[in-house]
Amino acid sequence: MHPRPNDSLQPMADVDAARRELEAALGSGAVLTDPLALRLYARDASMVEGECAIVALPTTTEQVQACVSIAAAHDLPIVPRGSGTGLAGGATPIGDSLVVVTARMTGIVEVRPEDRLAWVEPGVPNLDLTNHLRPMGFTFAPDPSSQQTSSIGGNVSTNAGGPHCLAYGVTSAHVLALDVVMPDGSLERLGAEGPEAAGYDLRGVVVGSEGTLGVVTRVCVRIVPTPPAVRTMLFGFDTVEACAATVTSIIARGVVPAAVEMMDQGIVRAVERFARAGYPVDAAAVLLVEVDGTEAGVAAQTREVEMAAGDNGVSSVRVAADDEERALLWKGRKSAFGAIAQIAPHYHLHDCVVPRTKLVDVMRGVYAIAERHGLIVTNVFHAGDGNLHPLFSFDRSVPGTLERVLQASDEVVRLCVDAGGALSGEHGIGLEKRDFMPLVFSAEDLNAQACVRASFDPDGRMNPQKVLPDGARCGEFAVAATGTGEATPDAAGLPEGSWI
Amino acid sequence: MHPRTVADVVEALRDASQHRCRVLVVGGRTHIDKGNVSEADAELWTTQLDQVVAYEPGEMLVVVQAGMRCRALSDLLAEHGQEWPADAPPDATVGGVIASGSSSSRRLRVGALRDSVVEMELVTGDGRIVHSGARTVKNVTGYDVHRLATGSLGTLGVITQVAVKVRPIPERALTLATPGDLLLASAIASEVPLVASVLATPDVVEVRLEGWTDEIDELAAMVRRLAPDAAPLDTAAPFPREPWWTWPDDGTIVEAALPPSKLGPTLTTLKRYSALAAVGLAWIAAPTADDLTAIRGRVEAAGGIAPAIRGPGGLGNATPAAAADVHRRLRHSFDPAGILAPGRAWVSA
Repeated sequence: MHPRPNDSLQPMADVDAARRELEAALGSGAVLTDPLALRLYARDASMVEGECAIVALPTTTEQVQACVSIAAAHDLPIVPRGSGTGLAGGATPIGDSLVVVTARMTGIVEVRPEDRLAWVEPGVPNLDLTNHLRPMGFTFAPDPSSQQTSSIGGNVSTNAGGPHCLAYGVTSAHVLALDVVMPDGSLERLGAEGPEAAGYDLRGVVVGSEGTLGVVTRVCVRIVPTPPAVRTMLFGFDTVEACAATVTSIIARGVVPAAVEMMDQGIVRAVERFARAGYPVDAAAVLLVEVDGTEAGVAAQTREVEMAAGDNGVSSVRVAADDEERALLWKGRKSAFGAIAQIAPHYHLHDCVVPRTKLVDVMRGVYAIAERHGLIVTNVFHAGDGNLHPLFSFDRSVPGTLERVLQASDEVVRLCVDAGGALSGEHGIGLEKRDFMPLVFSAEDLNAQACVRASFDPDGRMNPQKVLPDGARCGEFAVAATGTGEATPDAAGLPEGSWI
Repeated sequence: MHPRTVADVVEALRDASQHRCRVLVVGGRTHIDKGNVSEADAELWTTQLDQVVAYEPGEMLVVVQAGMRCRALSDLLAEHGQEWPADAPPDATVGGVIASGSSSSRRLRVGALRDSVVEMELVTGDGRIVHSGARTVKNVTGYDVHRLATGSLGTLGVITQVAVKVRPIPERALTLATPGDLLLASAIASEVPLVASVLATPDVVEVRLEGWTDEIDELAAMVRRLAPDAAPLDTAAPFPREPWWTWPDDGTIVEAALPPSKLGPTLTTLKRYSALAAVGLAWIAAPTADDLTAIRGRVEAAGGIAPAIRGPGGLGNATPAAAADVHRRLRHSFDPAGILAPGRAWVSA
């Protein structure tokens, strides 16, 4: 239990009072306080372990409003949560908090092809929406690798990407409007069903805000027609350099493929044992390229991509002949994270983005770091966007290993930042990376971000201690709004092991 | 004020904040009419901040100072076979297009212009330099201040530099024109895949096709199945043939945004408009104040907005922005003295 600034004014008994009020509003089955449940919801898919006081499972917007109001009345921090597949600790609760889980809000409210939109509740799993839209000839473009489990609400909060965001853009390009329960319990519709809305683009800043600006209870997504033709190709290369150079060559030929995924030998071998997708295990690296469009457009792009691969000395070429083979090739890529469990019991995954032209340098650097620390590293990433996912595999029970992984991880982040990159391409900052924020932003930048946050949440109630590091303060606004000079509570110590 | 450097902007705004001097930020003046009436004591011109900061075609990103003219940026990118698909007036500045929340005529294919802005340098009303985003095509690192500044009409700060995503200029482009209305335009937009734009005027539909050479032939054949009279325009003709800034200077032009299926019923009987099927944007002429009132009534009834983009009329007040208190706090945080075009944006300070 860590101290909050006004702990002395808020006796512990408030948790019980809050629980009783929540049970009255949501029903007793939707409010969990037993130790097992609290333990289950104390973490997401990152390795950060936290703690919480109450877990609420609302099914309606009104119930979410009740959660927010009750939490405010009892001064409980609120931690919104979807399916809990986040990798940065964004949904890991800290202290006496109320976890508001939107996973039971699973309605696909309406699909309007004539307006190219669909209204969905936040708990709808990404893949369920895609499957629902397919018979209508439409798709929801963001497709994170976790799409079977991860929810639309979670995709919104992390501005999720996925292999196909190279051509189609990330989640924020596919969100027209959001119904948001604001930190004061009011309900606002940000954005509009039309292409533009009145006011500042609050929708745009809520997407990717990791549950720190409000609780999203309904999402108006943009749906796009499924392209009539698609082709998936797999290329093997003798060197990592040739593989990465092919990405640049493809772009230089004026092709923007739907997806360009790169995997190194370590991950290919693990995947082959697991998925039997027929990947070339002798290649130093493979490139999975997908193009889509009309039949003629796909033929033209395929030709250009094959020429780009040829120019870089490709050693094996495989073009999926049918949907079955295409699915198999994608199975290889999408099962990468399942496959690495064979290498070692634990893994730590990174999510840095670097300029596309720096891919090779950064990969070499990552290998060197792993070697220096005696660690196994494999690489699977969205090469088209410069989004690396180096993955350290290790056994936590071996003394000293965790420390080495921590040190190596720190070096990987710095390497990417030095190459002109960003801290996260699609997973978010959460708890894991917040202390790295000063590497990429000045104090003034971070203060401005704190102002954005405080403009939504003057009391600092939403998902405290996430995203922004200690010390980021919105001075101007805090004085004006509260008269006390502090807009956000002081961050206390993070739980032990919050790094991994 | 004609700053030549970011330091000049900082100094000018600090000074203006101290003396409560109300400032209107000005780029190419092409979108100067957008926004509510705002009294200003001084203008800050960004047009001398017009340098290319970084351009690596392989990254499909370009970093420029905000006062660069769209024409100059187009010329630079075209040398490398790329474009920033803003479809803005050539004299507009890059920063002005972003600050005004302008939309591309090819939004159906190229997406919202706001999504092309990946990094920004902004000088707040009190002269603080704030960076956000990164020079990468995707990024979830902190709060996207640049998204708030995009479309803020110069009320949160002066945009001094941006990194925008660019795209390859397609191998071939073709515009087909056919007699027709929004019904035909909507049919083409839903039947012809990957169409770059389907623009309807009261009597003609312009269909923009962009892609690979063989692909264009394939798509053109699909268009002709729906519109047998569709004829190709001269490849040198601009798209659209008559963008709103070339229309006669007569009253007001609004840039309406509404759900796409409502375009037809909303625009019926109107004399002059260009509407983007399947997108829901329409530039509409409103020669008189009564016309403007009538058009706004229709658009708002359809759940849309109709801000004036040229001529009098402001943003229209019937549709208030959501979360007014958040707007007020943002405004106060980024412009504590309230000097940046007070009253111009949706929510007053």
